[in-house]
Amino acid sequence: MDAKIVIDVKHVYKTYNLLKALDDLSFSVPQGRCFAFLGPNGAGKTTMMKILYAKAERDSHPETIVKVFGYDPCHDELAIKNMAGVVPQEDNLDVELNVVQNLKIFSKFYHMSSRYAEKRIDELLDFMELSEKQKAPIRELSGGMKRRLIIARALLNEPKLLILDEPTTGLDPQVRQLIWDKIRSLQKNKVTVLLTTHYMEEAYQLAGNILIIDKGKKVLEGNPRSLLQEYIESHVLELLDKEKFTALPASLAKKVRREESGERILFYCEDPKVIHTIADKLAKGTFYIRQTNLEDLFLKITGRKLHETQ
Amino acid sequence: MKHSKQLYPPLLVRIGSVWFRHMRVYTKNLISNGLPPFLEPLIFLAGIGLGLGLDLGSIYGIPYPLFLAGGLFMTASMFTAAFECSFGTFIRLEFDRVYDGMLAAPVSANNVLIGEILWAGSKGFFFTLCVLIVMSGALLVLSVENIFTNFLIVFIPVFGFINGVMFGSFSLLITSFVKNINHFNFYFTGFLSPMFFFSGVVFPVHNLPPVLKQLAEIFPLTHTVRITRTLCLHGLQGKYPNMDVNYLLRADLLLDVLYIIVFIVLISYLAITRLKKRLID
Repeated sequence: MDAKIVIDVKHVYKTYNLLKALDDLSFSVPQGRCFAFLGPNGAGKTTMMKILYAKAERDSHPETIVKVFGYDPCHDELAIKNMAGVVPQEDNLDVELNVVQNLKIFSKFYHMSSRYAEKRIDELLDFMELSEKQKAPIRELSGGMKRRLIIARALLNEPKLLILDEPTTGLDPQVRQLIWDKIRSLQKNKVTVLLTTHYMEEAYQLAGNILIIDKGKKVLEGNPRSLLQEYIESHVLELLDKEKFTALPASLAKKVRREESGERILFYCEDPKVIHTIADKLAKGTFYIRQTNLEDLFLKITGRKLHETQ
Repeated sequence: MKHSKQLYPPLLVRIGSVWFRHMRVYTKNLISNGLPPFLEPLIFLAGIGLGLGLDLGSIYGIPYPLFLAGGLFMTASMFTAAFECSFGTFIRLEFDRVYDGMLAAPVSANNVLIGEILWAGSKGFFFTLCVLIVMSGALLVLSVENIFTNFLIVFIPVFGFINGVMFGSFSLLITSFVKNINHFNFYFTGFLSPMFFFSGVVFPVHNLPPVLKQLAEIFPLTHTVRITRTLCLHGLQGKYPNMDVNYLLRADLLLDVLYIIVFIVLISYLAITRLKKRLID
């Protein structure tokens, strides 16, 4: 096995009752990189994370290979978990204990000496800007503080791999930026990061590689910037009210890709000049022009309609 | 490959950490959590032992309060272990998601559940010890008997632990079937309460009608009660020559020990196997 590959997954399947949660998924993450899973709710992102640290059991299948640091979670879950930190999607802090106690109990799980644990806990509370909340009961923490505390808990053992399942969902922009900064500074120390997110911005900011997953299957994989270049036009014009719009002249309509979403019409085109030609004929305030982003790509790939599991 | 010792914490540390978490949470509210085991036996002894005992006088050759005391060591342990591994476990599993947190650390689902059962046993030990202290004090004050003269009573808290492990694992097995927390009412009123009355705690089993007697032998509580009552009374035979032979140390108590061993192995295995499926997706 290549020593630099931290996570190596090939042909993973997972079925819940009759639902195929993962269907022949493969990917690999080199050491020190940030790899992001993007996908709608119910796409299988969390299931994949859980399989890596043995919180979920994959289907047995002859082709399947799952290796984390060279260990198979089916046989060596403890070795993996001892080297990894996990930030789960749901807050699962111990509400019976306060901030410091939550971390102290976890230091026992990692078999840390109390002196070292105290030092490490101080560092982490400082790193996550929670020092003032040391003695606070969990119920009194805001959503952002809980999230930061869970990240601190995942970092106790100085993990070489950090698994983050929607680390910033539901948080305000300040906290989100703070968490992103912390993740970036961890990466400087060669920590490998595996991330799931709905926020395209988050994936774009943090990840060197993204994998778009839908209905348990890989749809696209690659560097976010090159994926944008390769799979979607660079510019888009959004019309805010489709009822006020008559048709485009045929010469222009050929040059753009048209999508409709609710009340809006979107025209995608590689050439900004074409976009501006369309814009010239429109009344001010009824449209806006922007560069395309991962969200456009994501919606193009996974479709605009909700499916059952969302 | 490196030796496994360096790869992750050893088994005892893993199980011990789970146990430590429960101990830490329990001792946070020591007054409110620690008072019941001291008060409950007193209430029982006063309510039933004195009230009924005064009229009954003695039963099978010993004063009734002494007979009752011999049974109450185990009920405290039973109820505390049962609460811990039914309502307690369910809340940690479904509402607080404590186990999900633990399972992100180098701890396996087996470790978590074994820690749970050992914690139930530890509470059983603690409660039985409290009851022993309170009960022997009360019996002394009421000048019924001084059971301190009998060295065998030091083994009673040990059976408090074993009894806690039995009811801890049995309650975990019940919990593995429960989807709605209110269903525990069936367990407590439908199973534990009848067991309280038909396991020889408040009246002896060996004189029950044959059908009930067989039923009593199925109940786990009967076996630990029989052993601990013997431990409590055996040394007193000199003082009560008419004491029933059933309260003396004898070889058939080994059958009770065998029952206990088989029960713990079988039930904890089933409980862990079933509950693991709810911890791991």
